[in-house]
Amino acid sequence: MSTLAIEADGLVRDFGAVRALDHLSLEVPAGIVFGFLGPNGAGKTTAIRTFLGLVEPNAGTARVLGFDTRRESDRIRERAGALLEHHGLYERLTAEQNLDFAGRVWRMSSGDRQARTRELLEQFGLWDRRREAAGKWSRGMKQKLAVARAVFHRPPLVFLDEPTAGLDPVASAALRDDLAALASGHGVTIFLTTHNLVEAERLCDLVGVIRRGRLAALGPPASLRAADSNIVRVTGTGLNDLMAGAALAVPGVLVANVVDGALEVELGEGVRTAPLIAWLVERGVEIDEVRRDRPSLEDAFLELVTDDGATGSASASVPR
Amino acid sequence: MTADIFTVAWKEWLEFRDQLLRLKRGGLSALIVLLMLGIITPLQMGPLWLTSPLMLAYWPLLSSGMVSTLIADAFAGERERHTLETLLATRLSDTSILLGKVLAAILYGLLFTLANIIVGVITLTIRHFGEGIQTPSPSHVAYMLILVTLACSTLAGIGVFISLKAATVRQAQQTLGIIMMVLFIGPVLFIQFLDTEGRLSLAGRLTALGTGRLVGWASGILLGASVILIAMAMARFKRGKLSLD
Repeated sequence: MSTLAIEADGLVRDFGAVRALDHLSLEVPAGIVFGFLGPNGAGKTTAIRTFLGLVEPNAGTARVLGFDTRRESDRIRERAGALLEHHGLYERLTAEQNLDFAGRVWRMSSGDRQARTRELLEQFGLWDRRREAAGKWSRGMKQKLAVARAVFHRPPLVFLDEPTAGLDPVASAALRDDLAALASGHGVTIFLTTHNLVEAERLCDLVGVIRRGRLAALGPPASLRAADSNIVRVTGTGLNDLMAGAALAVPGVLVANVVDGALEVELGEGVRTAPLIAWLVERGVEIDEVRRDRPSLEDAFLELVTDDGATGSASASVPR
Repeated sequence: MTADIFTVAWKEWLEFRDQLLRLKRGGLSALIVLLMLGIITPLQMGPLWLTSPLMLAYWPLLSSGMVSTLIADAFAGERERHTLETLLATRLSDTSILLGKVLAAILYGLLFTLANIIVGVITLTIRHFGEGIQTPSPSHVAYMLILVTLACSTLAGIGVFISLKAATVRQAQQTLGIIMMVLFIGPVLFIQFLDTEGRLSLAGRLTALGTGRLVGWASGILLGASVILIAMAMARFKRGKLSLD
């Protein structure tokens, strides 16, 4: 197998006048959890469909597990597992029957199917309810069962289209843990689309941000954020507008204001916080807290996907 | 590929079975039809119900009618319940998905017919108690099985063709209902337009052909229709388009 699970080069897919993928180029190494982030309609689902060979691109090429998505899509589907936009479970069938069907589709032996059903249903905490029709289950349980079905045949690559969408925080966290265990324990490549940036940050080794069908940024979650913010917020007693005005004399302080009783200071690039704090202490300020915010992945994401944001501006981005 | 076809048919059968076991979901109507046709009709017709050559036309019509209630669901139902795309994302080939659904429909038609005959045999044996078990001749059973299989496969071919295109199960059922009405009422209307002499002439020709040859002709026509319809459905089966639908 190639060391790259997915290689896309200049993928274009149009639906009438709408361009869902606009020269999307992407490389996903094998054996990692890859998070594909983007707002609604950005092209995430179309990308998954294209990688599975369910949709043909108008232009560009993609190779998944070393196979061309146009000519060898059946070989990709043989080796991949997928949880798509809808869970796709047969709701009249029991959980056991749903998984058994998946096993039969991938020609697993009867003994292997039974053992795998037990292993996965126990792992996801669903074993006791295996004989109930899936349609009677809660959304969270269905979603877990759908993930179990996607990985049932031990595929080297799994596509999960918003696996935690619509789940409550507890169910989401549990499913996230299960996915992390799958990835770390079995070396499976997980291609995950999500709106949940906390999820992406906690789970993914590599994150790609897609905007209007184009890759806006690619990199580990930590590197997509700016390393440190230049904004320092100081709370304490003795902070007032006069002090804020005087603080501008401190080397490296660009802007200083008092907001809600706290001093907010914007420092120049690479300027450290300590001289400012020493200066405030010298002037009798009793400091309670100093906070230099680290921007979240959400901040970086919003910057990338909003119209005002500079696309591809993140430090680790490699848009092509 | 054969194993894949049986895998799809197995899944379809599980869904059919669930539907049949739940009275509200169609099991009740199937039970009523089974009891009406398996008890009332044999009581009215007597042993002819098992032996008359005319019944060779009755069984294919009955079984294909039953198949039509399920086959409309084949793809339209999967689409409606959002399971189609997941099925298309598996390793199953287009042919095995389509033929698996057709096979499940044929088996359903055959099983319904056999269940009907068993109920009818029991009914007639009880009605004619002391005259031994009432059974049709082996050739009659063979003709019946051939015609039922081919009629069900023809209807399944039409059904999957329509179901591939229909947005909803209801739409597929409506379209299929209209087509079945034309297919079933068409021959009756044709005979109505014939004058007495024409009808007698047609009856004479059919009788002269003999049951075996008639069954042969009918089987040939149904087989040809099945092959053409399933080929048309295969041509319509476009994974990419179905996924986007």
